[in-house]
Amino acid sequence: MILIGELSLWVAVVMAAWTTTVSFAGGKLRRPDLIASGERGLYASFALVLLAAIGLWTALLSHDFSLEYVASNTSRNMPAVYVFAAFWGGQAGSLLFWALILSFYGTLAVFSSRKRSRDLMPWVTGTIGAVLLFFLLTTCLGANPYTRLPFVPVDGRGLNPQLQNPGMAIHPPNLYLGYVATTIPFAFAIGSLITRRLDNEWLGAVRRWALVSWFFLTVGITLGMWWAYVELGWGGYWAWDPVENASFLPWLTGTAFLHSIMIQEKRGMLKKWNVVLVVATFLLSILGTFITRSGIISSVHAFAQSPVGSWFSGFLVVALAITVFLVMTRLRDLEAPVTLESVVSREAAFLYNNLVLCGIAFSVLWGTLFPIISEWVRGTKITVGPPFFNAVNIPLGLLLLGLTGVGPLIAWRRASSANLKRQFAAPSTAGLATGGLLLAAGMRDAYALISYTLAGFVTATIVQEFYKGTAARRAIHGEAAPIALVRLVARNRRRYGGYIVHLGIVVLFSAFAGLAFKRELDVTLRPGESYTTKDPYGHEWRFVSQGISRFEAANRDVVAIGLDVFRDGKRIGVMTSEQRQYRDSRGNPTFNPSTEVGIHGTLKEDTYVVLAGVSGDETAELRINFNPLVWWVWYGGAIMAIGGLIVMWPAAERRRPASGYRASLAPSAEFAEAGAR
Amino acid sequence: MSGLSRREALRVAAVGVALLTTRGLAAQSASTQDSTGTPNGPTDGSSGSNLFAMNQEAARTVRRPPKPGVKAHISDDERNATEKKLRCQCGCTLDIYTCRTTDFACEVSPAMHRDVMALVDGGYDAQEIIDAFTQTYGEKVLMAPTKRGFNLVGWTMPFGALLVGAGVVTVLLRRWHRRAVTVRARESAPAPVTGVDATDEELRRIEAAVRGGDE
Repeated sequence: MILIGELSLWVAVVMAAWTTTVSFAGGKLRRPDLIASGERGLYASFALVLLAAIGLWTALLSHDFSLEYVASNTSRNMPAVYVFAAFWGGQAGSLLFWALILSFYGTLAVFSSRKRSRDLMPWVTGTIGAVLLFFLLTTCLGANPYTRLPFVPVDGRGLNPQLQNPGMAIHPPNLYLGYVATTIPFAFAIGSLITRRLDNEWLGAVRRWALVSWFFLTVGITLGMWWAYVELGWGGYWAWDPVENASFLPWLTGTAFLHSIMIQEKRGMLKKWNVVLVVATFLLSILGTFITRSGIISSVHAFAQSPVGSWFSGFLVVALAITVFLVMTRLRDLEAPVTLESVVSREAAFLYNNLVLCGIAFSVLWGTLFPIISEWVRGTKITVGPPFFNAVNIPLGLLLLGLTGVGPLIAWRRASSANLKRQFAAPSTAGLATGGLLLAAGMRDAYALISYTLAGFVTATIVQEFYKGTAARRAIHGEAAPIALVRLVARNRRRYGGYIVHLGIVVLFSAFAGLAFKRELDVTLRPGESYTTKDPYGHEWRFVSQGISRFEAANRDVVAIGLDVFRDGKRIGVMTSEQRQYRDSRGNPTFNPSTEVGIHGTLKEDTYVVLAGVSGDETAELRINFNPLVWWVWYGGAIMAIGGLIVMWPAAERRRPASGYRASLAPSAEFAEAGAR
Repeated sequence: MSGLSRREALRVAAVGVALLTTRGLAAQSASTQDSTGTPNGPTDGSSGSNLFAMNQEAARTVRRPPKPGVKAHISDDERNATEKKLRCQCGCTLDIYTCRTTDFACEVSPAMHRDVMALVDGGYDAQEIIDAFTQTYGEKVLMAPTKRGFNLVGWTMPFGALLVGAGVVTVLLRRWHRRAVTVRARESAPAPVTGVDATDEELRRIEAAVRGGDE
């Protein structure tokens, strides 16, 4: 199977090259036989890449250490789930994994759209084929997971212990699923630009895939934050590391696109801008991958410096050049007779929303690349860390939060002052009341106060929208409130799913603001000693050391501390924190020792204990954090994902009338466009 | 040109272009070694992730003679806050405080912490400690760029770009709104009279007569 997998990988390269060539040729010469051959080529590429993936999985699970990849990323005593996950734990495997997802997505996209957009599809297939070809070539020539060692080691090196965590087993695949999904909208954009069919036809498929990408990026980023929090032990979930930033960038531009696409659908506006956003989202995904894999920027996550980095930079330059050429030569086709009835309209609010999202994306990209720019200009290395990103992005984030509440309150086309007063009255009151109450309660952190004030405002906006919609259904259909609410969401998934996503954003921002009240303590405890302190809410906590224990677990040596924990005099239980030294099957240490954090989590706060060191007399050096509202980060991410699922859920086919006439109406966007003229 | 040599000025201009080129990026990749030859990036040479690959040799000594007659006057919280402004040089990207209280395997952050403690005991204040570290390690030891010189470009660019973007959006919105007003006015204007059997001169005289003019 391993040999079949290896051969399949090389045949897949040829097949992807074939797919690209005949698809573009078929599109240019308008030859259905070539077009059909290209489509079949893509399906075959998927089958071949799948075989290559099965081959690698077989090698991993059968501990075939003759493969360098298997020996470098697994060991005999690793739990099977992590051996399976090691497929994407290293450079070469993750590239093959990327190719696997891309060929699957490509197959799905081409198969589902092959009967629509006939003119467009050969170019879409060809573009997907070209991107796939790049990834397969990079895998084969840059970092081949089938590279063999000149000898067969008895055991492998094992997977980095920090990666042996359930979050890490599922976080990268989600991010990859998100990154790779940006290829499909990009392929449709390229196809539309080449064929000059830049009407709204391509938007349907693009929107679906943009949502898929957004959903998986959201889940992947949230899981990544969770993994960083529970596994890395530094007490936070977001460090503005270049690789974290790399995943955030396409999320930001993808979110901007999901808003601006509505303006094109409803008003026929922003055609150029939407193409730019689709392309930017794809290129930022590639840029992120380049940053991760080139070692160009120092990052805890980065893969070793390797030739793969230059492959990605080359691809980035070529893709950018082709796209810029296509956009510049088709500017006239992208012109739309844009009119705006009022600057106080939802269209305008969405534009400012796009501006802030792209502003944040720019600031994150700028901060990530500024060390390189500084070194180029001044020859001096600098660090751009969390203080910079927080100072720049917190104000922008709050602006975005405010716009999240403003947008839904303003009508499309034109909002009258009476309408504005009616819409804004309750949310503004709720926001100001929230801020006022917190101020009266003693909250003095300016950013936190603004954040909670805006959170109150946006929450009230969302509640008002649901209330008005439900009330309207009750009045028209005479439904009970719960049924009216469920049907309201079911019949308007895009709108109300979107509001649920906004609610997730509110919850996230509330959690972020909680960090303003975080407490960090250095504690030294001998066995039997205790330490008493207060948390940000004023509760008294007492930690009593039960001493240090040393033991062997499945594939590691463990040094652990047990702490008896009391809150306001009431015993909560025992918290433990560990230092782990992982070993291979022969008992040799693998990788550096790692920390296992002790966390006692509640809705209000997490108590977070890190065993930072143990001295000869069993004195433990501990860091104890009180991190308010951390659980709300995970809830916020989950709510956003649920909202995304509701938006993505396909609409049921409308029942056909049993008799009489059937008339086909033009899409509402065309009516809107016609009305705007 | 004051302050910048021609070569430096050309370098500034070339940055944007160079960033987009393979060669530029490759050059950057190759230059991730500092003057001592110490790799600043991750050092793991394997094909796997570099997560927490450390450079344990990165610590240097930052010591100053104690100030005569001055005792330590920084609280533990202030000292920790100072350590949070200084980056551990092991490659973890964390600050000294967070690294030393997180990762017991790191030998660099405890060494840097000892230097901070020695400076605190020697009577140095937070800014002087930061300055001492910057002198030894260079600006890269700071968790954020200083707000001086070229670094100001780094700090202000995001806000500048947002302001420019806001200006562009506002201009576009006004233009589109003006266009809508024009279209609406055109649509609501009375249709021009056509098909009148009269010359322009006759129409002019009729119009003047209607207005009660002299002609």
